[in-house]
Amino acid sequence: MFAQAETVATPEVLWWALVPLLVLAGAAVLLLTVASLVRRLPEWLPAAWTIVAGLAVLVSVVPLWNEVQDDGARSFLAGAVGIDGSTLFVTALLAVAVVATALLSRAYLTREDLPGVELYVLLLLSAAGGVVMASANDLIVLFLGLELLSIAVYVMAALHLRRIQSQEAALKYFVLGAFASAFLLYGIALVYGATGATGLARIAGYLSTTILLEDGMLMAGFGLLLVGLGFKVAAVPFHAWAPDVYQGAPTPVVAWMAAGVKAAGFAALLRVFVLTFGSWSGEWQPAVWGLAILTVLGGSVVAVVQTDVKRMLAYSSIAHAGFLLVGVQAASDRGTAAVLTYLGVYTLLACGSFAVVTVVGGAGDDRHGIDAYRGLGARRPWLAGAFAVLLLGQAGVPFTAGFVAKFGVIAAATEGHSYALAGIAMVSAAVAAFVYLRILVALYMEDRHLEDDDEAGAVEVDPAPWGPRIVITVSVALVLVLGVVPGPLVDLAKDAVPVLVGG
Amino acid sequence: MLGQYLPVVALLVLAALFAALSFVASRLLAPRRPHDRKLAPYECGIIPSRETPERFPVRFYLVAMIFIVFDIEIIFFYPWAVAHRGIGLFGLVAVLIFSVAVFESFVYLIGNGALEWGPIAEVRQAVSRRFGSEVVRPGVRQVGLEGRDAGNPTIEGGP
Amino acid sequence: MDVTVAWYLTLGAVLFTLGAVGLLVRRNPLVMFMCVELMLNAVNLTFVSLGDALGDLGGQVSVFFVLVVAAAEVVVGLGIIVAIMRRRSGATVDDLSVLRG
Repeated sequence: MFAQAETVATPEVLWWALVPLLVLAGAAVLLLTVASLVRRLPEWLPAAWTIVAGLAVLVSVVPLWNEVQDDGARSFLAGAVGIDGSTLFVTALLAVAVVATALLSRAYLTREDLPGVELYVLLLLSAAGGVVMASANDLIVLFLGLELLSIAVYVMAALHLRRIQSQEAALKYFVLGAFASAFLLYGIALVYGATGATGLARIAGYLSTTILLEDGMLMAGFGLLLVGLGFKVAAVPFHAWAPDVYQGAPTPVVAWMAAGVKAAGFAALLRVFVLTFGSWSGEWQPAVWGLAILTVLGGSVVAVVQTDVKRMLAYSSIAHAGFLLVGVQAASDRGTAAVLTYLGVYTLLACGSFAVVTVVGGAGDDRHGIDAYRGLGARRPWLAGAFAVLLLGQAGVPFTAGFVAKFGVIAAATEGHSYALAGIAMVSAAVAAFVYLRILVALYMEDRHLEDDDEAGAVEVDPAPWGPRIVITVSVALVLVLGVVPGPLVDLAKDAVPVLVGG
Repeated sequence: MLGQYLPVVALLVLAALFAALSFVASRLLAPRRPHDRKLAPYECGIIPSRETPERFPVRFYLVAMIFIVFDIEIIFFYPWAVAHRGIGLFGLVAVLIFSVAVFESFVYLIGNGALEWGPIAEVRQAVSRRFGSEVVRPGVRQVGLEGRDAGNPTIEGGP
Repeated sequence: MDVTVAWYLTLGAVLFTLGAVGLLVRRNPLVMFMCVELMLNAVNLTFVSLGDALGDLGGQVSVFFVLVVAAAEVVVGLGIIVAIMRRRSGATVDDLSVLRG
């Protein structure tokens, strides 16, 4: 009976469009195999391997980008995976974040005397998950990408074997992450039930052509999807995990969480809400509006009262998520371009800032109190100067890239007539500026404080190894250059507006 | 036909009844005059102020975890096995890619000694043979040893 | 009495809620993992019954992926728990409070 089974039409695979994903996943698998078989690996090899893989992805994105710009977006694998400008834009951001995290990790692992092939393997796998999310054309594929991204990060958070905080952070992240995944999945199930499809193009087609008599199931699906993705990007009120996890996890991993995970999460939000549910934007926009207001305000206000710089940056990353949500709420091409620009700038800012935190944290990774930063301006003028630029960038001061990013999302909000939201976003940007000001004051104006202390109280910061040094230099330079000449990034983001192709 | 099992069933019932009756009888008949001394965990000695650390057999958990992963991978082989004639080369390539990923994690487990089962001393030798004493990797060998001797990941034997 | 698809969906919703509430209420990490599993399997039930109602295989295929992901997730969670338990046996989530604002 099996012999008579007819041939099933098999889906087409565009291997060239899968190159970034294949490079990342292949590099991870190869690295793990080599590390299991070879007796002693040179210590620099895993980091170098990861950096090469990241750069290879960056290079491979360029011809794909030209292809997509010339011939338009494609979808393949029976419409499960698509490739468009936004996919490639986010893939490039993830590659940058991978390279930066690998550079930081090498210095970190050496300093903490930790074994470390696994960190790089997980980083590559996590980035592969992010790429899957950015190219998902099907809700189930999106879920798989999200889980690949998250599960790898849960383990990465626990990798500091000797710090109980690291494992505690991992457990908290895991429990809340699994909770969020379940919500997201239930949302997918309900949307599937309401529309009869999990493919984004088919859902979008169904929603724009059909009038639903009973839309309760669809609305519940929207809500649950928003909750699930809100958890992943740490939007208030689903942000509870972020400060604890950022504080406990190894600092290079935090850089990845802030830059990579957030970029992938927002890529998913854009694809699902703006693109797929675009014809129903009237229904979900109010929810995102509320979420955005809570997130910008909550993140900025709570950050002011923190005393631990890692927690402070965690809350500021929540505030950044709020600004990104402001761009998502606009539900327009302009909003999407603004979100992508913001993501590009934020990737630089997050990698650079957490590189400084990695250096200042010192052996043991626990000098993150604001005291550790007092008088840094006098003792380590270059490091302090770089941190100052990055903080001003996060605050959105003009002539830094942060200003361009914030301006973009707020302009998109006013264009969509969300004046209240734009106003509140600007107010909370001003509130958030206090946070960065506090660190700046500690950096430059409190050096007298140190002289009173005895030798033990004075925190000496070790010289930065070359890995973090490269990350800091490049990110500061780009933040300044993009602040003055934002054109290239903004134009790229404009060309990267996502498109759905049916399958 | 089932009648031949009747004695066994009768015995089962009798045993259960006997156990239950014993408990009930003891509950009913035994004199109970509790006081502080009797209720203390120990009749003499120091009352423990906190729980004693339990032995925590990490290896069993490890085997359980490995089992869960490899066990669930089978789920993708069943559909393929049923439909492999229909989907031909495409399905074969897909399953091969999947198998490589699974097999590769198996190589990692073997390489890190996750499936070695025996006294810790042997495992320790294996660690130093493979990685040298200064390079220590996470894996089973350290699991359970880590943290007992803070700062020094290699394990000293007894005194 | 006719058992329609709505019954299965309701059962799925009830199980999902039980899992979600359990996760928030219970403090033993292992029980919390069971609650996560309960939530995911409630979604599986929803997928299967919706797929059946729609006459579409997609719902059932989704369950395969969810099952595998759930297994991977639980294994990672167990690994993290084992790493913590090695140091402090009998830990509950409330004992884990090194990280504070």
